[in-house]
Amino acid sequence: MSIAAIEAVDVGKAYGGVAALTKASFTAEAGEVHALVGENGAGKSTLIKILGGRVRPDQGEVRIGGRPVSLSGPEAAHKLGAWTVFQELTLLPWMTVAENLLLRREPRGGFGLIDRAATAREADALLARYGVMHVDPRALVEDISLAERQVVEIVRAISHDPQILFLDEPTSSLVEREVEWLFGQIRALRQTGTCIVFTSHRWGEIRSIADRITICRGGTDVGTFTDIDEDEAVRLMTGRRVEALYPPLVPLPAAAPAVLEAADLAGPNVKRISFELHAGEVLGLGGLAGHGHREVFRLLFGDAHANSGEIRVGGKSRHFRSPRAAIAAGIALVPEDRKTEGLLLQMSVRDNATLAILKRLTHFGVLDRTAERQAAQSVVDSLRVRTAGIGLAVGALSGGNQQKVLLGRWLLAECQILLLYDVTRGVDVATKHEIYELVSRLASEGHAILFYSSDAEELAHLCHRVLVMREGVVAAELSAPGITAEDIVSAAVRDHLAA
Amino acid sequence: MSASIIRQWLPRDRRRILYAFLAAIILFAIGEAVRPGFASLDGIRAILVVASFVGLVAAGQTFVILIGGIDLSVPWVLNAASILMVTSSLGQDARAIPALALTLGVGALIGAVNGAGIALLGIPAVVMTLAMNGIMQGLTLGLSGGMTCTSCGAYAPPVIQAAVHQGLLGVPFVLWIWIVVLIAVSFLLAMTRFGRATYTVGNNARASHLAGINVSGITILLYALSGFFSAMAGIMLVGFGGQAALGMGDPYLFQSIAAVVIGGVYILGGRGNYLGSVAGAISLTVLVSVLLAFNMPDYGRSIVYGVVILALLLLYGREEDSA
Amino acid sequence: MSSSHSPPETVLAASGPRRSRFSHFLVQNVGLALVVALLIACIILYCVLYLVTQHRLPGGFELTSTLNNTMPLAFAGIAQSLVVLTRGIDLSVGGVIDLTNAMAALTLNGGPVQTTLWTAAILGVGVLCGLLNGVLVAVGRLQPILVTLATLSIFQGIAIKVLPQPGGAVPAGFTNVLANPNWPVSLLYIPLIGLIWAVFRRTRLGVSVFAIGNDAMAASSHGISVKRTVILAYMLGGFASACGGLILAATSTAGDATTGNTYTLTSIVAAVLGGVSLFGGRGSGLGAVFGAFVTTMVVNILFFAHIDPLYQTFYEGLFLLAAVVAANVIGQIVRRRR
Repeated sequence: MSIAAIEAVDVGKAYGGVAALTKASFTAEAGEVHALVGENGAGKSTLIKILGGRVRPDQGEVRIGGRPVSLSGPEAAHKLGAWTVFQELTLLPWMTVAENLLLRREPRGGFGLIDRAATAREADALLARYGVMHVDPRALVEDISLAERQVVEIVRAISHDPQILFLDEPTSSLVEREVEWLFGQIRALRQTGTCIVFTSHRWGEIRSIADRITICRGGTDVGTFTDIDEDEAVRLMTGRRVEALYPPLVPLPAAAPAVLEAADLAGPNVKRISFELHAGEVLGLGGLAGHGHREVFRLLFGDAHANSGEIRVGGKSRHFRSPRAAIAAGIALVPEDRKTEGLLLQMSVRDNATLAILKRLTHFGVLDRTAERQAAQSVVDSLRVRTAGIGLAVGALSGGNQQKVLLGRWLLAECQILLLYDVTRGVDVATKHEIYELVSRLASEGHAILFYSSDAEELAHLCHRVLVMREGVVAAELSAPGITAEDIVSAAVRDHLAA
Repeated sequence: MSASIIRQWLPRDRRRILYAFLAAIILFAIGEAVRPGFASLDGIRAILVVASFVGLVAAGQTFVILIGGIDLSVPWVLNAASILMVTSSLGQDARAIPALALTLGVGALIGAVNGAGIALLGIPAVVMTLAMNGIMQGLTLGLSGGMTCTSCGAYAPPVIQAAVHQGLLGVPFVLWIWIVVLIAVSFLLAMTRFGRATYTVGNNARASHLAGINVSGITILLYALSGFFSAMAGIMLVGFGGQAALGMGDPYLFQSIAAVVIGGVYILGGRGNYLGSVAGAISLTVLVSVLLAFNMPDYGRSIVYGVVILALLLLYGREEDSA
Repeated sequence: MSSSHSPPETVLAASGPRRSRFSHFLVQNVGLALVVALLIACIILYCVLYLVTQHRLPGGFELTSTLNNTMPLAFAGIAQSLVVLTRGIDLSVGGVIDLTNAMAALTLNGGPVQTTLWTAAILGVGVLCGLLNGVLVAVGRLQPILVTLATLSIFQGIAIKVLPQPGGAVPAGFTNVLANPNWPVSLLYIPLIGLIWAVFRRTRLGVSVFAIGNDAMAASSHGISVKRTVILAYMLGGFASACGGLILAATSTAGDATTGNTYTLTSIVAAVLGGVSLFGGRGSGLGAVFGAFVTTMVVNILFFAHIDPLYQTFYEGLFLLAAVVAANVIGQIVRRRR
């Protein structure tokens, strides 16, 4: 029996009392491509962080080459030949691509000083060696696109000739050609005996490249397979059959009015988008990260300035100077990153829940504490938020409960139009289902929901229609019934050059 | 043993206020030991009056630090206010009220300009308020001809002087004013929508913006309040000293920041309250007075002052880790 | 599951021509370029005003005195830049200058050997001050603004202890070397500083300083020791402040333990004008040097334009605001033209 390249043995990790991993075990061999799959919140990101040295496990151990190791940080892992491309990129924005690629191993010139010209040249050569010709090594990282950054981060990791390579959602913003490139690199690495572990949501990718698949659920591993049926995998990942995951799609009422319209709307990263959103409808936005979805949401919410085009609410043309104006018009936004854009982590559940309705709770400038407490409690009760009390800091709650508080904030605000951006990201399975039920219920009650998700399955099952965005325009429109995740993904990654 | 009981009963922020007050009490005791009469009623009253000037400036500084900003224009807004007060009132009680309104209004206006530059033009707080300090210095020196103008030597109106030197029930009016300020500011921060918005902006300005809070408006108002309180301190100071002088605002910049921080307000914003700054202002003033009572020379006072602040910061810092 | 043959290797082709090297250089050094342009504009304006009022161009004396008077601020600006690059701020710059200035006035009155030794010792004191700051920030995990606020007080106190009354003087030889009143020797400092900064940026420490200013977490995940880098940055800053103090001593007729106070806030101005970002990770110490000269030029311009000197700081403040806003706008335009 060969010694595994890397193993996690009964690893446990908890954040603030909430267990992210419990007795999780994992083994990967040299010269194999191993996929780690699971829902958001199942623990796969945490596992990768532990294996990559970014996080220390509370229990259990990590073994590399059969020997137990205690990784004090990513650098310790690097020394043992294990490199990670994390989901949160670690490029330095105000330094050049070349400086980032060759950080800590810059070519030296006279007097042992870094030779900057040689650094740029070597970076050029490095990128060329891996077939990357479209990134200028002299450009600042801040100035290149998200996909280019992801490619650079991957090249940086590969260029260290790793024995073990971890890739956490490496293709989240890569188009088809770039994914092909990555897989070519992965195959080449496999030939040389590197162990590659990656996480992904996309079955097409996993099927085409992975030798083995390990499925995570609820913070532990539930099985490792060399071949598995997709439906069976979903059942293992979620504990239920696919059909039971999502609530049934309530058909749209016949003459539902269009409550929100965009007409040739253009802005930062958005070339042109037009759509109608009707009361009771769940309209999905799909596509790769960085192709304009975030900006569409921001434009609709008054958080970004439109260059041209029109927004109509209830038939009336509106121009929102700030989120305040959009909220007054009945639009709510649950943003991408709840920790940095949505929640006040150090403040209480109560303060977070009532943030959007402070005006209503104010009489002559003074806050009505009782009313506030009642409103916050109603959110906790109706959404079943698991917290020790409304006075607890919201940063102490689990991801799913945090998301519920955020959603609750907007339910209190009684907005008819809800812009939901990746609301199930980093949320555990049980809460996800509650959120799906909530979305369905809100739609049937007459709310109009614009729903972006990085998970094409969600879009396929929850939405009446899905607009797939590419490069700032709508590349495809799919209508229920019959939307599949495959359709969404292929519309998203299809190259210009392909037919 | 008692430390852990305290920890249970009081959250971290309130603990720091307690520490700051305890430090003041201990320092009073030390002062009394070194020079009997230090902690007598007269002695305490005198020290509190001096602390009130720092305390008033610290009120404004508290507001802006709570949103992660800072006001470096304190010295010359204060100085400008004091000169404006005497030159527009010319030592007459009849003119006191209009002069008061004008001075406080100008202070608030300058603060609002600071806030506008920071919120609307994206100028970092350090740069904006530093530049404003220079602008106010230039304007003040220029318009007053370097304090050579005819009305520059005027005295503060007797009613203002009385506010500082005379009192009610043995407490000088300026201390009553400080108490009112304490109640008003604390009420504002704890009970009103504006106060809540202040804390949310300090915690996460982006999230507050996306929840519909008018972050720019809040910023401008908070800096306006800072200018207002700097002006108020200038008025009180000129009531204390009788006449205005150049450079009288200089010591109050760093002292106000130190008072706020010692009182447990987090320098990056979002946590703390004015009661802490009050405690900080009192402790710092008592510290300086105790060092004077020790007959410690200038340099020694400076060094001890710095060391004490570091010690308190380290104490708070270590708590941060265990909290 | 995986395919049995490997497909032809995919190449990600370039979609268009690359920007020129000069264009990249400009984008990366916007701050430096702007302050140089600003300085040149100020020098021209100054010369014009001088010509109009004095009927001749400024000569060697003006050059020398401007240089000598600005050099302490230039070094203070470098000290501040080093700290600001790590996302900190150093309010104790004035205190270190006070202390080293006072020490210089007190000790540098012997022969050349003694003077040299004491100079080295004084520079060492600056480094120690920086070490204290750095350790408190990096290991004590205290906010830089608060640490340096406290150490400012401490250093000022020590300075007054060293030199309670203004007095003492530095020997003429010392002055002639550092801040010669007759020849613009200090002009040599500028290329020297440029050279040293270029060297600094090409060392492991220099790269680390920029890296942690960009993103400390990311930097540490690449093996950069954040604590060590921060401490060294503050120590280098202390060294630069000490240089400023020594030059201040050379240019003053008598020592004074309080003249350094103003350098704290003006060093921030110099750094900001020089394009050093207060958020860390971007900027050049050389820019701060030019920023220091810009502030001096503004004072000179105000003087020769017969602006009432009492209003001087008014115009300086307005100028600072205008420069910062303009730099913001220009910076955005330059980077938007992709």
